[in-house]
Amino acid sequence: MLKKFAYVRPGSVKEALDHLSSEGARVHAGGTDLLGCLREQTFEAKTVVSISGIESLRGIRKGGGGLRIGALTTIAEVAENTELQMNYTALARAASEVASPQLRNQGTIGGNICQKPRCWYYRGEFHCLRKGGEQCFAVGGENAFHCILGGENCFIVHPSDTAPALAALGAKAHIAGPGGKRSVLLESFFVSPAQDYTRETVLSSNEIVTEIELPPHEEGLRSSYRKVRARRSWDFALAGVALAMVFEGDMVKKARVYLSGVAPVPWRAKEVEDLITGKKIDADLAAKAGSAAVQKAAPLEQNAYKVFLTRGAVEEELQAIARTQGKGS
Amino acid sequence: MKKENEELYYAQGLAVPETPKPGENPKPWDKTHVVGKAMPRVDAYERVSGSAVYPSDLLLPNMLYGAILRCPHPHAKIKGMDISRAKKMPGVHALINGSAPGTNPKWVYASFSRIEFPTSLFDSHCRFEGEAVAAVAAETPYQAWDALRAIKVDYEILPFVADARKALEPGAPKVHEKGNQAGETQRYERGDVKKGFEEAEATVEMAFNTPAELHTPMELHGCVANWEGDSLTVWESTQGVYAIQSGVAQALGLPLSKVRVVGHYMGGGFGSKLRAGKYTIIAAILARLTARPVKLVLTREETFLTTGNRPPSYMRLKAGVKKDGTLTALDFSCTGTGGAYPASGTALVDWVVRDLYTCPNVRTEATDVYINAGPARPMRAPGHPQGAWALEQMMDALAEAVGMDPVELRLKNIPSYSQARPGNPAYTSTGLRECLVEGAKAFGWKEAREKLAREDQKSHIRRGVGMAAGLWVAGGGGPPSSIVIKLFSDGSVNLNMGASDIGTGTKTVMAMVISEELGVKPEMIQIEHADTGTTQYATPSGGSKTIPTESPAVRAAAIDVRRQLLEVAAAEMKVDPSSLVLAGGELHLKQDPSRKVKIGEIQGLKKRGVIVGLGYRGPNPDNRVVNPFAAQFCEVEVDMRTGEVRILHFLGAHDSGRVMNRLTYDNQVFGGITMGIGLAMTEERILDQNNTGKMVNRNWHDYKLPTALDVPPGMTSLPIEPHDTEANTTGAKGLGEPVTIPTAPAVANAVYHATGVRIIDSPMSPVRLCGRFSEQRKEA
Repeated sequence: MLKKFAYVRPGSVKEALDHLSSEGARVHAGGTDLLGCLREQTFEAKTVVSISGIESLRGIRKGGGGLRIGALTTIAEVAENTELQMNYTALARAASEVASPQLRNQGTIGGNICQKPRCWYYRGEFHCLRKGGEQCFAVGGENAFHCILGGENCFIVHPSDTAPALAALGAKAHIAGPGGKRSVLLESFFVSPAQDYTRETVLSSNEIVTEIELPPHEEGLRSSYRKVRARRSWDFALAGVALAMVFEGDMVKKARVYLSGVAPVPWRAKEVEDLITGKKIDADLAAKAGSAAVQKAAPLEQNAYKVFLTRGAVEEELQAIARTQGKGS
Repeated sequence: MKKENEELYYAQGLAVPETPKPGENPKPWDKTHVVGKAMPRVDAYERVSGSAVYPSDLLLPNMLYGAILRCPHPHAKIKGMDISRAKKMPGVHALINGSAPGTNPKWVYASFSRIEFPTSLFDSHCRFEGEAVAAVAAETPYQAWDALRAIKVDYEILPFVADARKALEPGAPKVHEKGNQAGETQRYERGDVKKGFEEAEATVEMAFNTPAELHTPMELHGCVANWEGDSLTVWESTQGVYAIQSGVAQALGLPLSKVRVVGHYMGGGFGSKLRAGKYTIIAAILARLTARPVKLVLTREETFLTTGNRPPSYMRLKAGVKKDGTLTALDFSCTGTGGAYPASGTALVDWVVRDLYTCPNVRTEATDVYINAGPARPMRAPGHPQGAWALEQMMDALAEAVGMDPVELRLKNIPSYSQARPGNPAYTSTGLRECLVEGAKAFGWKEAREKLAREDQKSHIRRGVGMAAGLWVAGGGGPPSSIVIKLFSDGSVNLNMGASDIGTGTKTVMAMVISEELGVKPEMIQIEHADTGTTQYATPSGGSKTIPTESPAVRAAAIDVRRQLLEVAAAEMKVDPSSLVLAGGELHLKQDPSRKVKIGEIQGLKKRGVIVGLGYRGPNPDNRVVNPFAAQFCEVEVDMRTGEVRILHFLGAHDSGRVMNRLTYDNQVFGGITMGIGLAMTEERILDQNNTGKMVNRNWHDYKLPTALDVPPGMTSLPIEPHDTEANTTGAKGLGEPVTIPTAPAVANAVYHATGVRIIDSPMSPVRLCGRFSEQRKEA
């Protein structure tokens, strides 16, 4: 049962930002994540500021040589957009793998990258570190679904599928706040527990993401997203990989590789990028790249399987992308 | 009184009192016209349009909403409670915590356990997370929950035990004063197991584990309670209204006649709604205190914690076999837990080991322990899917050990009688052989095995096929059941039956039985059911026994109606009743079909207004066992790099006696397989073993039910109908539970066939498979 809160649905970004400056205000877009958090009392909201009525935040358009996706664009719209499917395959595919049809119709792209961690201790009745408590219960606890990379004091995984795809594609988040607008590359948008375990993004409480900007489609770019989960729908990644690679013939000219489901933030697998850049992907290299992806993994008691799984997913997806013909090239 | 008034109020010249004759059992049906066809549900429109009123839909004038405060710790004692603020909260009409007289009756959790273990409605010693601590009734659900939040409870948190395997360790925290073992270890033995293993030419021993599963029916557990004077009416989402009636009457010390329970529609139970819950009693007490109707529907999280589970099973099985496939010995042990109170934590887990295959030497042992978790309730085929997980994987391993086909090995060991029951009674019918043979044929088992053996499985995507068999210990049904059928003068019919339709299509099947006997269209049949105030006594719909219990009684009542109808019509036509035939709403002479009368035109029927037929469920045959049998086959594809398993196809060959309605029959088969896939692949209750003992996955995302994408697009239902003329007068056996018994081991065997990796712990998600693949790689 939800606790009481005030609800406002402003018509403009400016109005929304004004409301968000009040204490205990929370942003609502699609609500698929927020309502769960409020029900679980993960955090409280004095005022729920719904930006769902701000029409200017919806839709996908061309801009800046690339594409601009309004923060309120639904996950389903992202998944079904033909230009995204063609030129930014990783994003469209990642979106199509999010949750369930119902949730994809309701959830938004802005909300998807700003969602709260999916840790059952954080979400449940446990006063954990991230909620101001003393300890991370995942350490020594039920940690099969926790991170193997980048855990420091808190071992959440970042739940988003679209975020690693956007980071791999070099996307930028446009942010509006009381001080005006700013933009941040997705690769710098997320905050790791080592930096600050009380937050997940660079946003302050009175800022909102207004738009996502995808850079112009590069000649030879192929991108993809592979997600492995415990069930085939309505589930977060156990592990996943987003690839954005520029090919010259068979050769990898540039590569950006992000992992999902294994770290508290979309995890850049720099080791993989370094290994495959300038090379032709064959079975041997793909296998080596898989191993490189988990080189620094430090699993907990119950999630060592993620090392094997991530290695396998990276290996499989690299081989798959090498086989596909780049559509934009 | 004037003549016309007499005609208005009294039927004239009515000779025969409506007393049923003690009838002989009708002959088995030969060819049926309605029964067995694929017929949509009689209540399909109500269900899909939302006009069916489930207990959770019910709104009564002046109704209050109840809510229950629950202990957040797996083990704690209440040292104090401050309700002063909560009592004054807006909208609150009553707040109970057991301290006031009449608000803390005795409570017994034990369901089909024989161990009596009383506690009380509000017990200050909370032995599991979610135990009831206090309850309120308020004007709105929000006010009720706000009030609960204002209650301050001072808990003394006690050490807990959350793992059945650790419950009997020395120094383990005690769930109950007397210790953590629930009753004696149950032992069964026949033959000479030691000798059996000496005769064996191959012996395999393995451990198998299944975690706790949750029922998670679509409709939450709950009820609406309302008093009129000293009579209580409860609308409950239940599988059996009479079981709720007795539970409520017992808890509140009321005569049965003062408790009416109504449960027309209900959104699933799977065994978790066979009894009244504490919530039922709490709602009744709150309603009495406030003199207003109280609705108390639990939250999803509360149902996960408190309304039962399939107990986890930690099993070990050793089996011996001769080279020709003859089983020589089975030695099985199991530890399980029904949670914090006696709840049959190991009941029936060993039954398939005891009774599915011919084996002269069998020993089983089951130890039930207490842990600090919610009490179990029967869940779809209690014990059997767990036992099958062990036995049916073992059969697969034995087949490999002696170089036999798994189907052939099973065919070698098919019993015609029950070995585990005293006196070794024969089965009225056993379609196990046909399930295996016909199922394998329809699935293309041999071809698939041969094809996969030929194929080079070098790629990281591997295919395999697997199968498993099963039987269900019950499923024969039996007395008591009484049915009343009224035939109105226009030929329409009213069926009065106490049994619940728990979503399986019971009502539809009964309408088809009446239609078969009386020729009435099913849409002309009105069904009143599941109401202790207005319908006849019935046992709860559980054990896959509703159709074999109720359909013979319905058939008997319909035949009783027909007999009386023929007598009335025959008298009018001045012929012998035996010379008349009832067909298509008309009666005609066998010898001269042109001499006929429509039911609606029979004057004698018009006069009396109605013919009442009574039917009773007769006894089951002496020294016979009525059990359903099953074999299931599937094909899987496994990604060796990611541990993802895709089930490509499933076939269920089931002997559940006569198919009553092909549509609801197939529904049960597909639903059972889907639930079995949950056990095989996704479902697992997870307790925070090391930190807090709390359930960490108490929602529908973290507790993973299979989705539409986790079940194969192609599922085949292959009914095996043995024409059982002994079981009962309709020849139907239970279906709802056997369909979920062989599923999980069939998948595990297919995964083994594909990968060479034997998965002994369910569920087989990538979590488990990647772990095993990784170990295997290290070993290599």
